[in-house]
Amino acid sequence: MDMLIAPERLELAEAVRDYLAGTHGPDVLRRLDAGPNRDPAIWQGLVEMGLPGLLVPESHGGLGMGLLDAALIARECGRVCLAEPLVESAFVAVPWLIAQGRTADLAAIVAGEHRPVAAHAINGWVADGTGEPMASIDPLRRLTAPSGEVSDVPLLLDLGALMSAAQLVGLAEAMLDQAVDYAIIRTQFGQPVGAFQAIKHKLADVAVALEFARPVLWRAAQALDDRAASAALHVSHAKLVATDAAYLAAESAIQVHGAMGYTYEVDLHFWMKRAWALGGAWGARAFHLARIDAAVIGGTHPIGPENTFA
Amino acid sequence: MRLTYTDTQQAFRAEVREWLAANVPHAPLLTLECEEGYHQHVGWERQLASGNWGMVTWPESYGGRGLDLIEWLIFEEEYWGAGAPLRVNQNGIFLLGPTIMDYGTPEQKARFLTPMAAGEVIWAQAWSEPGAGSDMAAIKTTAFRDGDHYVINGQKTWSSRASFADWGFGLFRTEEGSQRHKGLSFILFDLDTPGITRRPIRQLHGHPGFAELFFDDVRVPVENRLAGEGEGWTVAMATAGFERGLMLRSPGRFQAAARRLVELFRQHESAAAPSAREAVTRAWMDTQAYAYNTYAVAAKIMAGGKIGAEASLNKIFWSELDRTMHRTAMQLLGAAAELRQLADGAINEWLEGYMFSLSGPIYAGSNEIQRNITAERLLGLPRVGAG
Repeated sequence: MDMLIAPERLELAEAVRDYLAGTHGPDVLRRLDAGPNRDPAIWQGLVEMGLPGLLVPESHGGLGMGLLDAALIARECGRVCLAEPLVESAFVAVPWLIAQGRTADLAAIVAGEHRPVAAHAINGWVADGTGEPMASIDPLRRLTAPSGEVSDVPLLLDLGALMSAAQLVGLAEAMLDQAVDYAIIRTQFGQPVGAFQAIKHKLADVAVALEFARPVLWRAAQALDDRAASAALHVSHAKLVATDAAYLAAESAIQVHGAMGYTYEVDLHFWMKRAWALGGAWGARAFHLARIDAAVIGGTHPIGPENTFA
Repeated sequence: MRLTYTDTQQAFRAEVREWLAANVPHAPLLTLECEEGYHQHVGWERQLASGNWGMVTWPESYGGRGLDLIEWLIFEEEYWGAGAPLRVNQNGIFLLGPTIMDYGTPEQKARFLTPMAAGEVIWAQAWSEPGAGSDMAAIKTTAFRDGDHYVINGQKTWSSRASFADWGFGLFRTEEGSQRHKGLSFILFDLDTPGITRRPIRQLHGHPGFAELFFDDVRVPVENRLAGEGEGWTVAMATAGFERGLMLRSPGRFQAAARRLVELFRQHESAAAPSAREAVTRAWMDTQAYAYNTYAVAAKIMAGGKIGAEASLNKIFWSELDRTMHRTAMQLLGAAAELRQLADGAINEWLEGYMFSLSGPIYAGSNEIQRNITAERLLGLPRVGAG
């Protein structure tokens, strides 16, 4: 039993974090928002890091890594509010194709030339699909009406929910950071507003929510990677706590920003809107709560201290 | 990350389960906050020690089993899963014991740890004073040197277990005229030393679980000081780290309560408010999250890491989830919530537990203090009044 994420697994995620921090700042979000929302140069940078092939087996030219690695990187994508469809394609659609033995396009996927998308019946849209465009409040999201194959298979839903949860954790972490930064520079009554306990305690609550969402997320990622029988329960747990943490972070951050937070000018809105989008995507709160309810109250899953890792 | 137990860990779990099944008292003990219940719980500590289960992570030479923190968590899971009694020994084994391991001399370890694991000496905490609660650096009780003794004068309060316990530990001002965190020393003392008066304080539930301690020229040998003179604050912060952090509230206790809450919900489902249903589901989620986090912290410590200010996040989380779970139970019980005994004659443990849970956000540093620590040390917000 080991809940520690091995340092070598963290290294790749940290490299991605550093790369994105240097190339995908808020100025990029504003530029994409003013233009066509997608930038081939950004996608090419992700391809050069090997990320579209992260979950592709080495025998097919990929990196052959697992869902925990993908979740660690999806969190980084959330942290910078990445616009390119890396997570939905490479970490959701690709493992879904591989699970079905559909490997014909893997070389093109690794090369970044083919970006598969997966439509699931629980969503009324497809992200970066080919159907009729649909408007999202998230200005960098490209939703389309479902066209072609629409699946209702639980594994695809679990992959989508898990990777949404990972992005939501990253989004929440970034919104907390933005609120802290603002609370330090904004002064009122002769001191930084972050020196007031009303602000401190609000942001401390976000830190608590995140501290206890992260291990749930990592546990869910490992369980789904292991294809554990209880994986769906743990994915639902992760999706719920990540969604709750992201909403809490968003509402706390806009409050700390005051009226500035209500403007389009302050960058916070990009992260907040992505959080709303992903919070409802791949099974909203009611869906995941019902799955947990059935397991815990319905009695299909063993609970109690002896069953921590059941 | 590996989410399965090794064969050795599973064999250990089976051994713990078997011993507990044969030894855990069938009838619940009286509350350890009353005198008779206290002595019942001390008897249970000695029974645990007879099987070398007093503190499994300690070296065998001190009555432990030399096991690692994962095995300790397995022990705790089985312990709380079996419905075993609360640990009257917890101030010793979870707080003072680890502190002595880190700061004690070889003589102090030999002298204090073995009787501690054996349940022969039960320890009380003596931190707070009437003017030093959340602001512990305001401590005024003095312990000035007189030859090879300290002479203690002053008053401690809210001293857990002190109504009945054998020994106490706490912080005292050893340097005359010193201020705040400086000039404090960490001193261990026999509660029956001449000059100590214990005045039990009746708690919310009606029992005298903690006490005031009055010190009137109490002479304590210098060798009872832990670490150097004037280093008490550092030592106390390490103890507080254990208290808020890993050991004092192991997840098994809360997971067992969550399972009982699910059972209670099933009994009251037809009359339950819709919000209770989600609260019960959330009890499972939060106690599981707490368990995963504890396993991660244990793994971090085993890899050479330390618990820092994140212990504050931990303390906020477990104390508030405990209160929420018990509040949910009170709401499910409805009109029966106020009854001290339920229809079957058993003690209304949810009511007792709810009262106890109200102390969690207060003791070991109030949650307001923990939120300040979180904001200032983890998030980097300016200190209060720093302008």
